[in-house]
Amino acid sequence: MANLPLSGVRVLDFTWAWAGPFCTMQLAHLGAEVIRVETTARPACVTRLIPPFADDVPGPNRAGYFNQYNQGKKSILLNLTRPESIDLACQLVKHCDVVADNFAAGVMDKLGLGYAKLRTIKSDIIMISMSGYGQTGPFKGFVGYGPPASAASGMFFTTGYEGGEPGEIGVSYPDPNAGIFGAFALMAALTHRALTGEGQYIDQSQFETALALMPEGMLEYELNHREPGRHGNHDPVMAPHECYKAAGDDEKWVSIAVGGDEEWRALCRVMGNPGLADDPRFRTAALRKQNEAALDEIVTAWTRTRDRWETAKALQAAGVAAFPSMSNKDLAEDPHLTARGYFTALEHPEVGKRQHAGIPWKMSGTPCAVRSAAPVRGADTEAVLKSLLGMTLDQIEHLRKSGVLI
Amino acid sequence: MGSQSASPFGAIKIVECGEGISAAFGAKMIADLGAEVVKVEPPGGDLTRRRGPFPDDKADPDKSGIFIYLNANKRGVVADLKRPEGRELLHKLLAGADILIHNVAPGERAAQGLDSAALRAAFPKLIIAAISPFGETGPYANWRGYELTLSNAAGWATLSPGASPYPELPPLKCFGSQCEFQGGIHAAMVALAAYMHRLKTGEGQSIDISEQEAVAAMLEMNFMHWTYAHRETSRLGSRLLGPWFISDTADGKIFALAVEEDQWKRLVELMGNPEWANDELFKDRIARGQNQDALKALMGEWLGEWKTQELYRAAQEKRVPFAPINTMRDLYENEHLAERQFFTTLDQPGIGGVKLPGMPSKYGATPWALRRPAPKLGEHAEEVFCGELGIVRERLNELRKAGVA
Repeated sequence: MANLPLSGVRVLDFTWAWAGPFCTMQLAHLGAEVIRVETTARPACVTRLIPPFADDVPGPNRAGYFNQYNQGKKSILLNLTRPESIDLACQLVKHCDVVADNFAAGVMDKLGLGYAKLRTIKSDIIMISMSGYGQTGPFKGFVGYGPPASAASGMFFTTGYEGGEPGEIGVSYPDPNAGIFGAFALMAALTHRALTGEGQYIDQSQFETALALMPEGMLEYELNHREPGRHGNHDPVMAPHECYKAAGDDEKWVSIAVGGDEEWRALCRVMGNPGLADDPRFRTAALRKQNEAALDEIVTAWTRTRDRWETAKALQAAGVAAFPSMSNKDLAEDPHLTARGYFTALEHPEVGKRQHAGIPWKMSGTPCAVRSAAPVRGADTEAVLKSLLGMTLDQIEHLRKSGVLI
Repeated sequence: MGSQSASPFGAIKIVECGEGISAAFGAKMIADLGAEVVKVEPPGGDLTRRRGPFPDDKADPDKSGIFIYLNANKRGVVADLKRPEGRELLHKLLAGADILIHNVAPGERAAQGLDSAALRAAFPKLIIAAISPFGETGPYANWRGYELTLSNAAGWATLSPGASPYPELPPLKCFGSQCEFQGGIHAAMVALAAYMHRLKTGEGQSIDISEQEAVAAMLEMNFMHWTYAHRETSRLGSRLLGPWFISDTADGKIFALAVEEDQWKRLVELMGNPEWANDELFKDRIARGQNQDALKALMGEWLGEWKTQELYRAAQEKRVPFAPINTMRDLYENEHLAERQFFTTLDQPGIGGVKLPGMPSKYGATPWALRRPAPKLGEHAEEVFCGELGIVRERLNELRKAGVA
């Protein structure tokens, strides 16, 4: 495995919950050795404690969320409430390139693991703190999670059905988004170090990483002092542009988006109504947008009796963007994702082989693959302390009994 | 604000082509750290030049807000990649580039001189980050995808808005162009990883990024519920825990949330310990999720007495993770963002100062700056084609007349 982009990069990973582990998983995907620091002393890692559990049997090594977002990592036990643990962490930092955390602002400093200290241990260390609101500013102490970050960043205000109330967005998007921005920032810092030899500290705010994705709405206000409004699935320019009811139960829908005249004509042909293309209500893109309600009715009348896949396939064959609304089951069984080798299913000591979302990119020269299933809690404590710090089994056993390595 | 030469990223040369958001956002992420980016547009200009928002709603290809956000810090040229002379210009640019980021559809790549295997053979040191809706292999490789259909293909819309009581309403797309942004940030991240590999080995390579896969990997309600517990997920149903809802305040809306039991206890204190909070219906977070309608009704009166920003601060003071339903105006006026200098004002010719969302991660050493405005269509043709690629001015004029450059 020496031939991966981050081969030789070692990460000491203090992250918990979701954003942080999603960040460090990207580094593991790219070849880094990621060592998660965990403890059994308190329920720190929430994703080990919440459902779904494999076959609905609870257990810290059976949790789907943890096992999804910690693929390819190692796990060591270190009870950070004990001063000996902080010493051990500092010794480990000497052998690491990157330190990552997503505690509340200031927690790493209080633990004695702040950047000012760590850089005296390893001068070119790269450290990222991914907190809810950043390490500075009047809200730095605020508690952040993904859903409230969606509210604070304007995603709820701008999402929702036409004419309706602000909506939620279905997933805790600012969490993995902060993770991806964090992984990008670490890649930039590693590149910076490769070019100059210099390490650095990165202060990342989940709130701000969500705002980086809101320019269409924010610039509407900046340029025209107007709020963007809520328009359901509709687009300012394109029509038809909607999820249409397909044959079947409440979960069966097909999304269709028509970008230009050529695509519009193709849609009319596939609907078996080529004459509709020249209907005076729909002849141009501007007219289609203007008469969108009537257009949506016509398209729905066609889609609602048809299988969603039949509709999508017929439209795609004619060059029109269409796709069924995919559930988790649909995705897990999807022939395209399967053909691309997207899913992983590696042996795990407690849950066996379970299907997980894998790596969303393919590299021709350094093919990345998930190298191991998520670790059982503390699986690598001995191996890491022996290989990096040269500790003996007796020393390790002593620290375990005295409540340090728990 | 560091100058261009102060950043080690000034050594990295990037060429960007394609249209829309994904490739432009990926190149922007690295450009903002100091990399030199040449954006190659089709003769009609990037489609984001036509999407706005525009000042005073007057469409103008040099004044689109989204174009400016995505393309500040870049130089711009035009090359019609559908014609051989245009492809020749592109390949001359690539000969001096470290990274190519593009989002031309897999089925159109060969015809535009962007086939990944051919580029690898021609430019063995080049890193090619190619973004597409479904990736460049597999049965849907040539399927068309726009933001709406992608968010359905990735399984996001199907989960949204979540806990909906309205089965007749469709799966709901999140505001904006989230799938495209994810294609871009993933491409930028992996391109830098490939660049580090090249620093060690001298080898370039191509990267195939699927937006469907990138977004599908981000959905917490997804695979595991099926592969661990055999439950199909839905936009309908109820929240796993409570309180978790949007409610009216005296002057706006608040997102009311308590995740942990201790947060709930402190919230009950903040509410003045109402008797109903002791009811069996609300005994733990799971019960509060199941009885959310009753909870929302009981909390509603109290929430309605507060001003949003005051409630936000009062709840957060007790470490209860409420958040306001912020408007765009609220964000521009947000004191926390102001103190962190999140916004950056760009002087964009023809408009003046435009306040843009700025650096989302604060780097201790790598300078982040908006150094130049977004380019006008073809603004840097002479500088790049004549000044740097050695094309004589007469030839550029011919190419312009022919509509290639």
